[in-house]
Amino acid sequence: MSGEVGAAPRPAVVEFKKVTKRYGAKVAIQDVTFSVADVPGRGEFVGMLGPSGCGKSTVLRIIAGLAPQFPPSSGEVRVLGVPIEGPGADRGMVFQEYTAFDNRTVLDNVAFGLECRGVARGERHDAARAFIAKVGLNVKTDADKYPHELSGGMRQRVAIARTLILKPRIILMDEPFGALDPMTRYRMQDLLVDLWKEVQATVFFVTHSIEEAVYLGDRVFVMSPGPGRLVEEVAAPLPTAPALAMNKDHKFQEVVAYVRERVAKIDAEALAANG
Amino acid sequence: MAGGLGRAFFGRLREQSPFWVRVLLASSSIALIIFVWWLATRGVAEERVISPAILESPGETLASFKSLWFDRALTRNLVWSLWRVLQGFGLAALVGVPIGIAAGTFRPLESFLAPITMFGRNVPISALVPLTLLWFGIEETQKVMFIFIASVAFVTVDATRSTLDVEERYVETAYTLGASRWQVVRKVIIPLALPDVFNSLRLLFGLAFGYIILAEMVNMDRGLGTLILISQRRGPKAHVYLILILIALVAFGIDRGLQALGRSLFAYKYAREA
Repeated sequence: MSGEVGAAPRPAVVEFKKVTKRYGAKVAIQDVTFSVADVPGRGEFVGMLGPSGCGKSTVLRIIAGLAPQFPPSSGEVRVLGVPIEGPGADRGMVFQEYTAFDNRTVLDNVAFGLECRGVARGERHDAARAFIAKVGLNVKTDADKYPHELSGGMRQRVAIARTLILKPRIILMDEPFGALDPMTRYRMQDLLVDLWKEVQATVFFVTHSIEEAVYLGDRVFVMSPGPGRLVEEVAAPLPTAPALAMNKDHKFQEVVAYVRERVAKIDAEALAANG
Repeated sequence: MAGGLGRAFFGRLREQSPFWVRVLLASSSIALIIFVWWLATRGVAEERVISPAILESPGETLASFKSLWFDRALTRNLVWSLWRVLQGFGLAALVGVPIGIAAGTFRPLESFLAPITMFGRNVPISALVPLTLLWFGIEETQKVMFIFIASVAFVTVDATRSTLDVEERYVETAYTLGASRWQVVRKVIIPLALPDVFNSLRLLFGLAFGYIILAEMVNMDRGLGTLILISQRRGPKAHVYLILILIALVAFGIDRGLQALGRSLFAYKYAREA
């Protein structure tokens, strides 16, 4: 119950109440209920884990307002207390596949959202340069490159800059580092932690990597398939060291081991049920 | 072993040969054709395998190029044919590309147009000659409209295909960056579809260039088609072969030119990772 705590309650950043999505007879997610609070001064970082087909991406795409997952078949979805009507720049999304627009330079890719808002050329380019630098790209040498000239890690940096420049309240990331090699992946995780501290957005991060979810998230949602359900929320320690160093941290390893056990159990159950 | 021999000669499956080997292989196929041609047409006229009334020898054919160039005004006729294709095909592109992109963006329009484009793509091209004669008379309009009608359905459907090939994730990304529907169409779908649209126009232009010869065989007023028919009826027969070879060469040249144009128009697509 809200309203019990004296001051006016802040609406949750994202709230799901018994959200179900069906495609004909197939149930993608069933009765998913959760609430991510609006922590003053910083957003939460939610890592989402679970085997394939558990509906992680469905949850993410419903928050983003993207069809055909949105609208859900039943249940209630609210963002900052307001029902979602469709996609918008307040909920930025970074995909696993590279989505930089091929016909635009890095600069114009990053400035895309501002361009759509009608921000003047000079102003949006200045802002874009600042964000290109923030995600660790070289403003001088990279800004005028086209996506085809970039490596996978660089392309994801562009995608992140392009989203952050719009100062979204919520950032949705669907396995954004899934296609990157391990070392690039660690670097991108560190980058994300740094940026997250700065932008204070609530992040939903879908991943297959338990370490990644535990490292990045301060909460980990574990989902189970057939039909997709949210089965557990685990609190995770905040990153206090770079990703590679964190791997040696005792507390970190304990949480990872715990989550891995849970995921393995869910996987085994799903296998037994469907198998 | 046969397999070993095959590998020694043809290389690994799908392996590309070095450049000079490719040039050598291509030249030897041309040489082979000319050799067979020469073999079939050598000696005194009466003793040849193929009578000179049907096919003259390579030397005789080449020698007749002079009269084709000067007496039959080869270049002027070539330019006429190209000009007709350019008008008809240009019109088809002007009409077909916007409609095709619109149909790929708004699928109900695609369904609405489906019967028309299906008809347009399946009607035999040669049957369009009498139809266009009926509608547009025998002058220039008929020839231009023939090309237009013959290619517009293909242009439209290809533009639709190119538009649909722009992956949904780009559209979704644009939406989550705050783009409006119209902005998604203008800033994402159209620019990302264009390289592919251009490529299909290039291929279809080659087809249209082939069609014009057909339209020029009626009324016989200028153009390469007319020239072929005149040569077939009044001779020299060698001109028929020369013109056919020329058409293939010109079509190839235009295709390469358009390819180069595409590469410079859409340079960003061909840039390589640094």
